[in-house]
Amino acid sequence: MTGSRHSFGRPVAVIAAGLVLLAVFAVAGLGQGQAGVGLSQALAAVYHAGDSPADHLIRGVRLPRAVMGILAGSALAAAGALLQTVTRNALASAGTMGINAGAFFVVVAGTVFFPALARSAPLALAFAGGSLAAAVSYLLAGGRKSTPVRLALSGMIVTLVLSSFTGTMQLLYENETGGLFVWGSGLLQQNDWSGVRYAWPWIAAGLAVAWLMSRKLDVMTLGDETARSLGQHIGAVRGTALGLAVLLAAVTVSVVGPIGFIGLMAPHLVKLMGLKRHSLLLPAAAVWGAAILTGADLVARLFISTLGELPAGAVTAGLGAPWLIALAVRESRGRGAAEGQGGTSAAGARWRLPLAIRLANRAALRRAARDAGEPPFILRVQMEAAITYWTWLVLAVLLLGGALVAGIVFGAVRVPPGEVLQVLTGGGESLSRHIVLQLRLPRELAAAAAGALLAASGALLQGAVRNPLADPSVVGITSGAGAGALLLLTLWPAAGAAMLPAASAAGAFAAALAVCGFAYRSGLQPAVLTLVGIAVSAAGAALIQLLVTRSAMGAAPALAWLAGSTYARGWDAFAGLGIGAALILPAAWLLGRRWDLLAFGDAVATGLGLRLRRTRLLAAALGVAAAAVAVAYVGTVGFIGLLAPHAARLAAGQNQRRLLVLASLFGAVFLVLADLIGKTAIAPKEIPSGLMTALVGTPYLLFLLWKSAGPRSGAS
Amino acid sequence: MISKVKKQAFWLAAVLSLALLAACGAANNNAGTAAYGSPAGQSAAPAPSAAAAVKTVTHGMGSTEITGTPKRIVVLEWTYAEDLIALGIQPVGAADTAGYKKWITSQAALGSDVVDVGTRQEPNLEAIAALKPDLIIAAQFRVTNSYDKLKQIAPTLAFNSYPAEGTMDQYAEMEATFKTIADITGKSSEAEKVLQDLNKAYESAKSKLKTSGKEGREFALTQAYSNQNAAALRIFTDNSMAVQILQRIGLKNAYHSTKFEMYGYTQASVEALLPLEKADFLYVVQKEDNVFEKQLKDNAAWKGLAFVKENRTYGLDPSTWLFGGPLSAKTFVEQTAKLLAK
Repeated sequence: MTGSRHSFGRPVAVIAAGLVLLAVFAVAGLGQGQAGVGLSQALAAVYHAGDSPADHLIRGVRLPRAVMGILAGSALAAAGALLQTVTRNALASAGTMGINAGAFFVVVAGTVFFPALARSAPLALAFAGGSLAAAVSYLLAGGRKSTPVRLALSGMIVTLVLSSFTGTMQLLYENETGGLFVWGSGLLQQNDWSGVRYAWPWIAAGLAVAWLMSRKLDVMTLGDETARSLGQHIGAVRGTALGLAVLLAAVTVSVVGPIGFIGLMAPHLVKLMGLKRHSLLLPAAAVWGAAILTGADLVARLFISTLGELPAGAVTAGLGAPWLIALAVRESRGRGAAEGQGGTSAAGARWRLPLAIRLANRAALRRAARDAGEPPFILRVQMEAAITYWTWLVLAVLLLGGALVAGIVFGAVRVPPGEVLQVLTGGGESLSRHIVLQLRLPRELAAAAAGALLAASGALLQGAVRNPLADPSVVGITSGAGAGALLLLTLWPAAGAAMLPAASAAGAFAAALAVCGFAYRSGLQPAVLTLVGIAVSAAGAALIQLLVTRSAMGAAPALAWLAGSTYARGWDAFAGLGIGAALILPAAWLLGRRWDLLAFGDAVATGLGLRLRRTRLLAAALGVAAAAVAVAYVGTVGFIGLLAPHAARLAAGQNQRRLLVLASLFGAVFLVLADLIGKTAIAPKEIPSGLMTALVGTPYLLFLLWKSAGPRSGAS
Repeated sequence: MISKVKKQAFWLAAVLSLALLAACGAANNNAGTAAYGSPAGQSAAPAPSAAAAVKTVTHGMGSTEITGTPKRIVVLEWTYAEDLIALGIQPVGAADTAGYKKWITSQAALGSDVVDVGTRQEPNLEAIAALKPDLIIAAQFRVTNSYDKLKQIAPTLAFNSYPAEGTMDQYAEMEATFKTIADITGKSSEAEKVLQDLNKAYESAKSKLKTSGKEGREFALTQAYSNQNAAALRIFTDNSMAVQILQRIGLKNAYHSTKFEMYGYTQASVEALLPLEKADFLYVVQKEDNVFEKQLKDNAAWKGLAFVKENRTYGLDPSTWLFGGPLSAKTFVEQTAKLLAK
């Protein structure tokens, strides 16, 4: 059956090569460890069932680890292959769809809140969390209408939100052991055979069922119409395959934690080697996935320090990032500019404009729209938007004022409002003066400025990339900044905290340059830019983990700073942020008009004589600068660049100048409020505002989901 | 066209200057404080009499002048809270008081009226200021980012209890810091007494071990916890305070690290215990996270280790703090001697 179309030779070669690689890695792993038991002794222990402590060590610790690596790798690879077929999306995998993060979050929450349940039914918890996260990512990406890029982005966002939740729990229920480092990356270390005993029946059954479905899955790749006409129950097949994928990922996560990129790398590798049919693809991907993970674990075990072992997940991320970049560039070929042009440009792309029109202003554009026979829709929308815009502007200013006042009046120590007023007018007793003028006021103002910058950064990047989900934390800038800071601490420990802002800014620009560099050859297409951004982000995160493992001492302050915090920020921080905002925001405003035209799609904009690459690069550079300044002073605070521009877009429409003003105000309000809640909720303990923004932002994210799941996905 | 070029030049300049600005962020670190700041002492307790002596203390964040004898001390790290309590001083505020009670020996009990000022990592600055302290004691590695703010509230000492390679060992650092704190607070004679007591405790532990024939035994000391599902071990190295303490009662560390470990321990898995199996195995775990009874219970390698088979594993009390001051050290040796001599 399998050999009828193409020869046996190739599949056998692919699988055999994978097996050989796997065997080499697994055997090498047996000889590697802290006990000083070498390879020959290890092999002897496996074959001759001796009774020395070394024999027990090999059979009881290293062998289960090797087997677990094989199981986990094959499960993740098969899950990736299934997801790619079912969603017809080359970028789908348990990691990119947020399934790993969802499963891990629920497992951690269970351990904290329902320890008994977590111990008795870890798989059920992981399965529930994984399914939920997958569903949210899928719906957030627009369900059936989802494109590969949207799915990757929404999965990334879901992962970020859930990781923040997990981080918050680890922070609040910290058990002294460096909970900050255990940010949830897969660790293959095993105590005994119990992990393997628990996982193998599920994984074996999952793989077997998936393999038995091979022909149905093959039919799915032909498209819904064809599949239906061939008598396939599309819903049933899709549901079963999805369930299998989530099950395979959930089993893996509940034993070894989240490990990314295997599900992306292995299936693609096998497809590249020419295996397309699922009866061959699935087993070959499983073998290669096992080989990759076992190899990654071999590398991970080389790095061990006072903060623990380097998680295998960090290594797979480091390996997988270049892979994702390659995929992104390949995906972009053939698809052209159509991919990733959000809803905003769909109408624009159809217009054919006379080349004579070279005036890049809005009046000309309106005229052009009329010439092209379009109804004066833009005009009408703009007038409506103008009214709501001014209403919103006033409201946003009032909100910001209110938030700032609340931030100054409330804190861990009660200062009566009357006293605050006295302090602000130059009176008050010295303690109140100190608390209000030295602790609260600069901190609130710094939070407002950082929030505004992050929101502006998001708005600028989204304009440049023409993707409403682009956010400095999604496209690699924040993780670049974090890696920069940690690199400084590792290479030059004496530099101290004072140099951190400079290093983080350098890291941010380096990451941005890398993203632009990789995406340059495909004309800086939005789709490619975003995907490369995600890849660079993953690479940055892997680098951070590696550096944390290497630089035991310097890591502690860096980690606190990485969590994103407005804690202890004073007038110096506000000065830096304020100057940054004063330079960037007006520059962005000036760019606004030209940038409006970007939203109409490449064809129109070029027709209007706009030098696309340059405008986009300029917007992106400003966006990166804004994020770099903010990250330099408050660390990696996420989500604001995503949520604030989105809210502003609902209020201001597509006018970029208005969008920028409103987004900055919303961003400022958002971070000031997050800071207020963070410092008062469980005072005197502080919740870092980076974690608070995720907690506060989630309801909005759900709203976003609800909007895009609706009949019209106009929200994005 | 020209104006277009100009505009672009402006943007370019703006972006470049921002990069520069971010890079120089550190330079204007202290610029803002002077303009609005109430002078450092203003919010602290009333200035002591003119006759008060001024002492200069050198510590991890530079040197600090302390006028008179501090009475209202806020302490942001457990070790230094323990040091104060050993000297007979209760701080007015301490970080993570709940954690202190859980981890530190009850021989150095924190007073019930000591105010909790938040986590050790991000202690609450408002709560600290509200206590109007005249001295703040902190761990250097936790306050590198907030030192400027703390300094505004009161003179702040930030000690480094993890000396770099080739300087001094952790025990010497602990003694030195303890004596410094005693000197500032005018309790030098109390400090002498505490250290003499500690030496006596070493002597009696030593003789206890001698009578039970355990003198000069080799040991391996670990602190253990679970990381995801795996058992994670910290095996203590020769430069650590805990090992230094046990060496003072005549025991020998079986574990020798190939490289310098700043924190004083090597992170390891159960594998690393194999070469140590002939030694006596001392460990500290939390009751709810006892990896030796849970994660490693059925572990073949663990069960095969000589010290497990021969019942030479000794669990120290969960509140044995291996990174503490003289009182922690005292409880630690007393317990070890009791367990080993049993």
